[in-house]
Amino acid sequence: MNQAVPGVGDFAEAVSPMLSNLLAALREGRDVTAPLAEVCGAVAELMPVDGAAVSLIVEGSQRVLVLASDQVVEHLDTLQFSLGEGPSFEAFATGRPVLVPDLSRSLPESWPVFGAEAALAGIGGIFAFPLRRGAVKLGAMDTYRRALGCLSEEELATILRGTDLVTSALLAVAAAGAAWETQGGAVGAMVRDRAVVHQATGIVLAEFAIPAEQALARLRAYAYARGRLLDDVARDLVARRLHPREIEE
Amino acid sequence: MSDGFAGAVTSSSENELLRAFVDMADTLVDEYDVADMLHRLAKYCVSLLGASAAGLLLADQRGGLEVAASSDEGTRMLELLQLQTEQGPCLDAYRGGESVRVEDLSAEAARWPRFARQASAAGFQSVQALPLRLRRQVIGTLNLFGRGPSPLAGSSLGVARALADIATIGILQERAIRRGELLTEQLQHALNSRVVIEQAKGVLAHAGGVEMDAAFDRLRAYSRAHNERLSEVAEAVVRGELPPEQVLGED
Repeated sequence: MNQAVPGVGDFAEAVSPMLSNLLAALREGRDVTAPLAEVCGAVAELMPVDGAAVSLIVEGSQRVLVLASDQVVEHLDTLQFSLGEGPSFEAFATGRPVLVPDLSRSLPESWPVFGAEAALAGIGGIFAFPLRRGAVKLGAMDTYRRALGCLSEEELATILRGTDLVTSALLAVAAAGAAWETQGGAVGAMVRDRAVVHQATGIVLAEFAIPAEQALARLRAYAYARGRLLDDVARDLVARRLHPREIEE
Repeated sequence: MSDGFAGAVTSSSENELLRAFVDMADTLVDEYDVADMLHRLAKYCVSLLGASAAGLLLADQRGGLEVAASSDEGTRMLELLQLQTEQGPCLDAYRGGESVRVEDLSAEAARWPRFARQASAAGFQSVQALPLRLRRQVIGTLNLFGRGPSPLAGSSLGVARALADIATIGILQERAIRRGELLTEQLQHALNSRVVIEQAKGVLAHAGGVEMDAAFDRLRAYSRAHNERLSEVAEAVVRGELPPEQVLGED
């Protein structure tokens, strides 16, 4: 996105107004979906990568997309959600950055399917970072570059500064939102994007009387076996074009 | 996309705002000293926003105000004076929940007789009091004093407000931690309860052969009729503890 590696000042100029908007939305009790995405978007613009996505990760295998700066990285998010594996799940789980400068040469053992798919999508390198502070784990940021090659030290420092800001914004939302109603409050609207998958999970768990996690795993396996995306299979189930009986183990 | 050099003209207050923001985030996670954060905030207001002095009034949990931080001792006395005499711009901002700005304190002798006199005697001409507010809850005020007609440099009000917001979130979060509420769980819980509601809609839609909207209406009707939280009813449906027919059967 950015050739010259930006310094603190660039972040300040680009992010401060967005941050003020986010804080104002929190103060007034408005939905923060858009202002939070704007903060993340402003940070993503300054990253020395081709695209960046911010996801909140819930209970290990659910994810809520806060921002995708382009369609490629949005597809990477959909793919990870669909497969239940990928660099940002790994970054979240381990609490460490996952740096893969050349996807074509080394497919990480922990996410072989995703890696192969991502390489096909024209991704050179993938770099995923946990969004965490202390013991608090919130989600992860996926970034990619079309070109192959490692991040320089300077680039890495810039990205980490960016993830710090994004983490701080998420923490502010978490902290301010905590005083709100339990029905989702500030963050409720974010889940809406993937609502169809959760609904489909409900349909499958009702059909087989199994726990939700198992139903989601079955949906993922079904989609993968047919070379389809989870979202598409879920849409078919909800529209009753597909009967949940088909989603067997 | 950016030329990468725009930062050269950035005001340092925006830089510092980001730093204060990231600082604050640290305080949200670990146990920390609120007094220390508020003290830093008061200092930021002077060094970054061009205020001559700054003070913070904070309500304790019984609603009584106290001076939580000040950039210097003189300001602390001015804040205390307002508390003792129960008058002044900071108290007005606290009570009204709205920002109060005065550019010529000497003209406000009728409004706040003792405060106006003392503030003028201390060399202050202007004041800006910002409520520390989250939604309808006002927990204190951030007060900026100026020796000239403006307590703040031109564009700094937005930054001051953001700093006040950051402090408010930090203070409320610290109270939540003291009540034993964990930050990780709060956000996860909020998100997860939304996920579970969608799942429950799926269960009901499948079991009753109804559309998702109708499933949600039934879920909500059941939770209202039984005076239970929507997310709790949804959870019971998803876990199979509450049969779908029971939820679907009631209007």
